Amino acid sequence: MSTKHAKAAKRFIRNREQEQWHNETLWLVRQKRDNMAMRIPEWEELREQANRIKAHTVAELACYLEQFSSAAENNGAIVHWAKDAQEHNEIVYDILKQHQVKKLIKSKSMLTEECLLNPYLIDKGIEVVESDLGERILQLMGEHPSHIVMPAIHKKREEVGKLFEEKMDSEKDNSDPTYLTHIARKYLRKEFLTADAAMTGANFGIAQTGEVVVCTNEGNADMGTSLCKLHIVSMGIEKVIPDLKSLSVFTRLLARSATGQPSTTYTSHYRKPIEGGEMHIVIVDNGRSKIQHNFNYERILYCIRCGACMNTCPVYRRSGGYSYTYFIPGPIGINLGMLKSPKKYSDNLSACSLCYSCNNVCPVKVNLADQIYRWRQRLNLFHKASTTKKLMSKGMKFIFGHPALYGAVLKIAPIINHLPRFLVYNKLNAWGHGRELPRFAGKSFNSMWKKGKQLTINN
Amino acid sequence: MSSKNDIIKNLNPHYSWTLKLADIKTVEAVKFDNPVAEFLEISRFVGGDAVLLNEGEDVNALIKTLYPDAVRIASNLPEITIASFNPDETDDPHNLNDVELAIVKGELGVAENGCVWIPQNVRQKALYFISENLVIILDKNKIVNNMHEAYERVAGNDYGFGVFISGPSKTADIEQALVIGAHGAKSVRVIIN
Ligand code: SF4
Repeated sequence: MSTKHAKAAKRFIRNREQEQWHNETLWLVRQKRDNMAMRIPEWEELREQANRIKAHTVAELACYLEQFSSAAENNGAIVHWAKDAQEHNEIVYDILKQHQVKKLIKSKSMLTEECLLNPYLIDKGIEVVESDLGERILQLMGEHPSHIVMPAIHKKREEVGKLFEEKMDSEKDNSDPTYLTHIARKYLRKEFLTADAAMTGANFGIAQTGEVVVCTNEGNADMGTSLCKLHIVSMGIEKVIPDLKSLSVFTRLLARSATGQPSTTYTSHYRKPIEGGEMHIVIVDNGRSKIQHNFNYERILYCIRCGACMNTCPVYRRSGGYSYTYFIPGPIGINLGMLKSPKKYSDNLSACSLCYSCNNVCPVKVNLADQIYRWRQRLNLFHKASTTKKLMSKGMKFIFGHPALYGAVLKIAPIINHLPRFLVYNKLNAWGHGRELPRFAGKSFNSMWKKGKQLTINN
Repeated sequence: MSSKNDIIKNLNPHYSWTLKLADIKTVEAVKFDNPVAEFLEISRFVGGDAVLLNEGEDVNALIKTLYPDAVRIASNLPEITIASFNPDETDDPHNLNDVELAIVKGELGVAENGCVWIPQNVRQKALYFISENLVIILDKNKIVNNMHEAYERVAGNDYGFGVFISGPSKTADIEQALVIGAHGAKSVRVIIN
């Protein structure tokens, strides 16, 4: 029984060239991250400190949210609370309606993706323009991000060139990234100049000062918010951190982990509304508070959405973001999906080889692989465990529990090396799908041990 | 209001083993023998192209050589004589769309990443992003080692808006190819004096 992820991954790898490009490009980003980390002697301590600040903040989240909202109100911002996606969308629409906004310019926000804000607003007659280049490309194509930091990583330049020819009057067959980016710059500049309101997400909310911090490379969040009188921030409850001192830890980790840059180009601190304008902050729960007291999974709330766990994941790199059924892919997405609805999103659990690489790169030490492992142990509860694999597990348990039988099986195992493929890779061997069996050693370790033979390692 | 209560209520009770913020060990962060030299190097790496103003060199003359063709030049700094207008007299930030060069002051430089802290010091913050090119003037005595030191200095200050800028606007959203000049300034030069 293949999971939905396995089936979708099969489609992705059918295009060998694209799969290889995707794999290698993301690995390059991972390597850039490594180079950055190696330049900081205290990197590991920094991760530890980040982890502890998050542990503290998540435990005390109620206090910090109170502190954040009253500080923000003191600064002149208007704070709203949304328990779920629906309420979030209604609040945003109400604000826009009050200000008679026709065009809203947005910078990247995974939270608004989560709430499906764009279709909601468009349905109500508001023009919504995504301004992050990758997001804009996808919006014009009618698609959604396949990576949380590099949303259009699955798109080839030729596809973007074709799209721009059609939508932005770019030269025919010119797919040079510099040319296309500058065409988009011109085109989006017009949108910035004619927008009535700007919306951003939040990388961090600072409890002590009530300010919102947004990190971008393009400067799109700032273009929007410095031209429009109305700024709406959409922020998940887990984005709050205690103070600027804590922020220094996260700003050192975020860009280095995400793209291998020492810092994003812009780290913008929004404290007060623009002269003569308004700043609204919508604080969103949408299932997060439930996770806070779930001891096994609360660490997921530490996530700063850097995407490093995706770049390092061998399954993500080779299967692409669209092969996951939750809107956030990769190790972080597998877990977020399970916390949203285990029944609906358990297919993604198969997209993990338990290599633990994600745990090792995560800047805030979210125990991603442990959580995936834990979910797998509970698959039965959602009636999702593969029956053939369960049957085989039972068989293995029996063999492992009977030493004499185990010995006998081991002796004959090398025979498999000589069996015809159809006998080994058949429908009953669920693990044989998409996997190659390692060759069995001619002699088992046990028999060599007994004979007292010297083991040589030929590496 | 009721949603706020629901959310806050959901988050209680706190864990009894809560770790105190004050008890979390602060890391001993990297320091440089020569932060100014480090800043210059890393700034070049991130495209901030920092230059050191030599003793006796005129900042206006230097900017002129860097941007010989710029005509519409915005600055509210008294020492900048080559400015063609004072942007603080502009009521509507949209009118700044044709600015070719903006010259502003940075308050703090960070050696580990080439960032310069600018608490809003012009009337229209759009100026930092909308102009084609941006020059940031920075005092060499205001360069700190790392972000910890930077935020130590930023904390306690009153600003409505502030931004760390570390180079020109950029993107790699098309096939991960790095392109300079996404939405903000196409070039950023930090002049250290
Ligand atoms: S779980 Fe960790 S590595 Fe993955 S996106 Fe979040 S912070 Fe980054």
